[in-house]
Amino acid sequence: MTATWAWLVLLFPLLGSLTIGLTFKALPDRTAGLIGVAAIVAAFVCGVLALIGLQGEPSESRHVASSLWEYANVGGLKIDLGIYVDPLSIFMVLVVTGVSSLIHIYSYSYMKSDQGYHRFFSYLNFFVFSMLVLVLAGNFVMLIVGWALVGFASYALISYWYRRNTATKAGMKAFVINVIGDIGLYIAAILIFKNLGSVDYGTVFEKAPEVFSTNQWEIVAICLCLLVGAFAKSAQMPFHTWLADAMEGPTPVSSLIHAATMVTAGVYLIARCHTLFELAPTAADVAAFVGLATLLIAGTIALAVTDLKRIIAYSTMSQIGYMFVGVGIGAYSAGMFHLMTHAFFKALLFMAAGSIISAMANMQDIDKMKGFRKAMPFTAATLIIGALALSGFPGMSGWFSKDEIIDFAHFRRGMYDWMWVGMLIGALMTAIYSFRIIFRILPGPACEEAQYLIDKGHVIHGEPKNPATNEVEDTEVGYPGEEHHIAEQAGGMKFAMAILAFLSIVAGVLQIPGVDEVVTKFLEPTFENSVFAHMHPSTGEAWLGLTEGGLISIAGIAIAWLLYIKRPDLPGKFRQRFSAIHTLCVNKWYGDELVDFLVTNPVKAVGRFCNRVFERFAIDGATAGVAGLTRSAGAAVRDIQSGMLRGYALLMLFGILAIAVYFLIRSL
Amino acid sequence: MSFDAPTMDYAGLSPIIALTTGLVVLVLAAVFDRIKRFGPALALLAYAVTAGCLIWQWDADVDLVSGALRLDGLAVVLSLLAVVSAAVAVLLAIGDPSETQAGRSDWLALLTGSLLGMVILTQATSMLTFFVGLELLSIPLYALCGTNLRRRESLESGLKYLIVGSVGSATLLYGLAMIYGASGATGFQEIADGLQAGDGMLTDSLTLVGVGMVAVGLAFKISIAPFHQWTPDVYQGAPTPVTAFMAVATKAAGFAIFIRFFLVALGPLVDQWDVMLAALAALSIVVGNVGALAQTSLKRMLGYSGVAQAGYMLAGIVTATQAGVDALVFYLAAYVAMNVAAFAVVVIRERQSGFSDDISTLRGLGREKPLLAWPLTIAMLALAGLPPTAGFIGKLYLIQALVDDDWTWLAVMIAIGTMISLGYYLRVVAALWMSPAEGDEAVPADGTPSDAAAAAAGIDTASLPPQIAGAQADPFADPQADRRWYLLAPAIIAMAAALFFGIIPQPLVDFAQHAGDALSVWIS
Amino acid sequence: MDIEWYIVLSALLFTVGFIGVLVRRNPVVVLLCLELMLSAGALSLLAFSRMLGNQDGQVFVLIVLVVAACEVVVGLGLVVAMYRRRLPLDVDEMKELKG
Repeated sequence: MTATWAWLVLLFPLLGSLTIGLTFKALPDRTAGLIGVAAIVAAFVCGVLALIGLQGEPSESRHVASSLWEYANVGGLKIDLGIYVDPLSIFMVLVVTGVSSLIHIYSYSYMKSDQGYHRFFSYLNFFVFSMLVLVLAGNFVMLIVGWALVGFASYALISYWYRRNTATKAGMKAFVINVIGDIGLYIAAILIFKNLGSVDYGTVFEKAPEVFSTNQWEIVAICLCLLVGAFAKSAQMPFHTWLADAMEGPTPVSSLIHAATMVTAGVYLIARCHTLFELAPTAADVAAFVGLATLLIAGTIALAVTDLKRIIAYSTMSQIGYMFVGVGIGAYSAGMFHLMTHAFFKALLFMAAGSIISAMANMQDIDKMKGFRKAMPFTAATLIIGALALSGFPGMSGWFSKDEIIDFAHFRRGMYDWMWVGMLIGALMTAIYSFRIIFRILPGPACEEAQYLIDKGHVIHGEPKNPATNEVEDTEVGYPGEEHHIAEQAGGMKFAMAILAFLSIVAGVLQIPGVDEVVTKFLEPTFENSVFAHMHPSTGEAWLGLTEGGLISIAGIAIAWLLYIKRPDLPGKFRQRFSAIHTLCVNKWYGDELVDFLVTNPVKAVGRFCNRVFERFAIDGATAGVAGLTRSAGAAVRDIQSGMLRGYALLMLFGILAIAVYFLIRSL
Repeated sequence: MSFDAPTMDYAGLSPIIALTTGLVVLVLAAVFDRIKRFGPALALLAYAVTAGCLIWQWDADVDLVSGALRLDGLAVVLSLLAVVSAAVAVLLAIGDPSETQAGRSDWLALLTGSLLGMVILTQATSMLTFFVGLELLSIPLYALCGTNLRRRESLESGLKYLIVGSVGSATLLYGLAMIYGASGATGFQEIADGLQAGDGMLTDSLTLVGVGMVAVGLAFKISIAPFHQWTPDVYQGAPTPVTAFMAVATKAAGFAIFIRFFLVALGPLVDQWDVMLAALAALSIVVGNVGALAQTSLKRMLGYSGVAQAGYMLAGIVTATQAGVDALVFYLAAYVAMNVAAFAVVVIRERQSGFSDDISTLRGLGREKPLLAWPLTIAMLALAGLPPTAGFIGKLYLIQALVDDDWTWLAVMIAIGTMISLGYYLRVVAALWMSPAEGDEAVPADGTPSDAAAAAAGIDTASLPPQIAGAQADPFADPQADRRWYLLAPAIIAMAAALFFGIIPQPLVDFAQHAGDALSVWIS
Repeated sequence: MDIEWYIVLSALLFTVGFIGVLVRRNPVVVLLCLELMLSAGALSLLAFSRMLGNQDGQVFVLIVLVVAACEVVVGLGLVVAMYRRRLPLDVDEMKELKG
C-alpha cells in the first residue's frame, strides 16, 4: 500500500503537467491554475498516506522498494523503474510537496496577469514531478534521470520570460552548470557499477562496506564525483555562479526552486549516500569545507549587493552551505531539519519579496525601497517573521535547526571546531544582512511607490522594465504581465504566506533538545547504520549552544539596527574605508569573472582553434569524403536499378555465381 | 491389408483450418453481390478466428501431418505477426482503388491465400511444406500487386515481381533438390541427421552449393542484397495496402522459415554458412541505406529501408544462438508496428490527393494534420532506432546478441547503417514539421493538378513523375480520407505500440522469447 | 543406379532456362523459361529420389508441378492484362519504375 501511495505521489504532478500542457488552448486561465494546485495537493495527500503506511512498519524494516518494470537488462546492468520509500525519502517528499502546494497557491494569484499562465503551471508541475523522481528514486539510474529532468525543468522556468535576453542567458547558464554536475553523477554511477556490480540503492549500500576499505581511492573518487553533482545542483562554490542569475525567473520560481527544492537536492544526495561518504571521510570533509567556504563568502556578498532577490539568493547559498556542513560532518537529521525549516522561511521571504517587488513596479533595488511598513502591513509582518527565522532568533524554527548543526560541529572537536567558529561568524552575518533588508525597506518615510499604494489603494503602474538592464520591455507573451499582484490584495498569496509564516515560527518545536526529537527519531531507521547515529551532544551542551546562537542573532540584529537606523551614515563610511573589500563583495568575489577566465575563455579559444584549423582540414575533409563516398555509393545503387527486368536477373545471376563459387572453393 | 487412418490433430491444425475456411468463404462470396459488401468484415472475422486459434495454441509444441508441419512457439508468434499485418492490409484497403476494381471479395481472397501460405510457411518442417508455403505466399501477391488496373506501374510491378520471384523460387527448388540428394530426406530434422550421418557430406560441394542456392531463394523473398532489386520497384508500383502487407508479413514468414531451415535443418553446417549470411547482411545494410538516401518517393524509400532492415534482422540469424533469434523476433514485431504506422499514413495521403507519395508534398503536414504527422514521425524515429522507441530496444538487443557471439564487426555495421539511415529518416521528419514554402501547394482539392496550376506553382511538369503529369480526375480520391477510422486506427495504434514497447519492452521481449524457446532444443 | 547424367541434364536445363530469362524479351517466352528452370529442379529431385531409393523426392515433384502450373496461370493472367491495355509485350519496355 505504501508503495502505491508513493507511485501516486509521482503520478499526480505528471498528470497535471501533461493535462495542462496538452489542453492549454482549450482551458480557461483559472482552470490551469486549479489543476496545477490540485495535482500537487493530491501528491501531498498521497505523501502523507505513504508516511502513515510507512510508520506502520516496525522500525527495522521501514523501507519499501517497489519497481514497476524492468527497463533493460543489458550487459549485466539491470535497470528497474523503481522507487525506494523510507523515512528520508518521505521526509523530502513531504517537504517538497508541502511547500510546492503553498507556492502553487501563491502563484495562482501572483501570475494572474501573465500571458503564459498555462505554460507556467505546466512547467511548475513538471518540475515538482522531476524533483519527486529524484527523491523517490530507487537506484542511481533513476536518480540521474530525475536529476537531469530537474535541471531541464529549472532551465524552462528560469527562462520563463523567454523574450528577455537576460532571462534566457541565465537559464542557459544554470543549465550548463547543472550539466557539468550531471557528468559528475554519471561518472560516479559508472564507478559504482564497475566496483559493486549494481546501481540499486539497497545492493549498493549493503555491499559498499564489504568491498571498500575506509578512504580507498575508488570510494573517495566516487564520493567526489557525487559531490561535483551536489555542488552544481546546490550552488556551492565553485559552481555557484548560476544561482544569482537565476533570479531572472518569476518569484514563485525562485521560492520553489531556489529555496525549497532543487538546491536541496545536493544535501539529499549526500544524506542518501551517507554510507558511501562514511567510507570516504576525506570526501565528507571536502563537502563540509566547501559548505563552510560557501556560507562565509555568500554571507559577505549578501551584505554588499543591493538587489533584493539577489540578497535572498546569496542567503540561500549560505544556508545550503550550513546544510552541507551538517551532512558532511555527520549531523544528518540536523541537516535535514534545517533543510525543512529553511524551506519554510526562505520560501516565505521570497514570497514577501515578490509582493514588494510588485508594489515597486518590478524594481528590485533595496536602496530605492522605503516605508513599506505602512503601505503593506501584512507583507511587512511576514518579511519580519522570515528574517527572524533566518537569523535564528530565539524561539523561531531557524534558531533550533541552525544551532543543532553548529552544536554538532563543536561536539566533534578537533578541526571541526574551526567550522564551529566559522558557522557562528556566518550566523552573525546572516542576522546582519537579513535585518539590513528589514531596516532598509520597512521603516521610514514611504518612497514614491509605497506612497502611491497608500494613496491610491492599488499598485503603481510603472513602465515595464528589465530590472537588471533597465531596458523597456513590453507585456506580451515572454515578458511579465502588465498587472502586478501584492499579498494584501490577493487571497491566494495571503493564504500561502500565512501558513509559511506560521510554520516558520512553530516548526522549531519538532526538535527541542531534551524535550522531543521528532525529526531525529523519524529519520532514525535511515541513518541507524551511520557511525554518527549515536553521537550527539548532551542536552546541556545543546542548550548552551542554543543560547550562544540566540545571543549572536540578537547581536546581529542590534548591529543592523545600528548601521541602518541609528547611524545610517556608517555603512557609507565603511564602504569608503574598506572600498577594496566592498568592491570584492559587490562583484560577488569575481566568481563569474573567474569562471570566465579559467574555463569559458580557454574553452572558447580551443573551439575557435578547432574551427579554424582542425575542422576545416581534418573534419570537413573527412566528412566531405565520407559524405561524398556515401552519395556516390547511393548513386551507384540507384544506377543499377535501371528498371530493366533483365538487368535485375543478371545481377541475381552474378549473386548466385558468387555464392556458388564461394562454396565450391570452401568445399575443396 | 489394414490401413491406419492418420491421426488428425484438429487443435493443432485449427489456425490453418480457420484460415482456409475464411478463404473459401471469401471466394464464394464473390458470387453473391449482397455478401460482397461485407467482404472486409468477413475477412477480419476469419483473421480474428485464426488469431484466436493461434493464441489458444500458444503453448503447443506438436508435429502435425506426420512431421510436415510443426506448431510451436516460433510458428505461433510469427503467424500472429502475419495475421495482424493482413488485418491491417484489409483495413487500409477499404475503398482502395485496387480493391474496388479487383472485385472486393476476390482481392481479399487473394490476400487470405497469401496469408495462408505464410501461416503454413511458419510451421513448415519439411521441404514440401516449405515450398508449398512459399509459393502459396508469393503467387497471390504477384496477382495482388497488379490489381490497380488504372495504373501501368501496378501491372509492371506485378510482372516484375513474378518473373524475378520465380527465378528465386526456381533457384530455391534447385538448392532444395541438392540438399535432398546430399542428406537423403526432406524433413528438417532428418536432413540434419542425414547430413551428419553421411561421411564428408557436411563439407561436400553438393551440400554447400545447395545451401547457397536455398539462401539465394530465401534472400530474394526477404529483400537481401544483391537480390533486392525488385523491392523498390514493386513497393512503389503496387497498391499501397499490398505494399504494407508485403513489407511486413513476407519478412515475418520469410524469417520464420529462414530460422527454421538454417538453424534446424542446416544446424550442423553452421560454420559453413554463417560467414556467407554475415556478408549478405552487411551488403544489405550498406546497399539499403545508401540507396535510400537520394529517394524522393516515400514508398521507394521505405523499400530501400526495408532492405537495410532485413540486413539488420539477418544478422540475428548469423549468431545461431537463442539470443539472436529472440532479438530477431523482437525486431520483427517492432518492425511490423513501425512500418504499419508509416504505410497507413502514406495510404491516407494517397487517398486524399490521389497520387504522389513524394516526400516534398509532406511539408507542413505537422501543422495542418498532426494526426497524420505524428504516426509518421514516430515511425521514422523508430526505424532509425532512436530511444524511446521499440526500434531502439530492438537494435540494442541485436547488437548485444552479436557482440556476445563474437560478431562485433557486424554489430559495428549495424551502427554505421543506423547512422547513415538517420540521413533519410530525419529528412522525412524535418519535411513534416517545416512550414510549407510558398507555392508548394499545387494540389487542388479534387486531386487534379491542371497544368496551369502546376505552372503557377513553378513546378516543371515535365520533370514530375509520370503519374502526376498524366493523371486524370481521380474517382477514387477521398478528401475525407484522414478521418476514416479504418485508415487512422492502424496508424495510431501502431504508433502507440512503437512508443509503448520502447518504454516498457518487457511484454514484447517475452513475446519474442516464446519464439526463441521453441528452438531451444536445436540451438544453444 | 548412376544418376550423373540426369544431374548434368538438369543443370543444363536450369542454365538454359536462366539464360532464356536473361536474353528473351517476350514475357510469354520468359514464363516458358521459368517453367524450364522449375522442371530442372524437378528432374534433379527425381534423380536423387531414384538414387536414394526414397519416395519423398517423387512426391515433392508432383507438388512442384502443380505449383508451377499455378504460377504460370497468374503470369499469363498478367500478360493478358498487358495485352488488353495495348502495352508492348516487351520486358524491356517495363521501366517506369526505376532508380
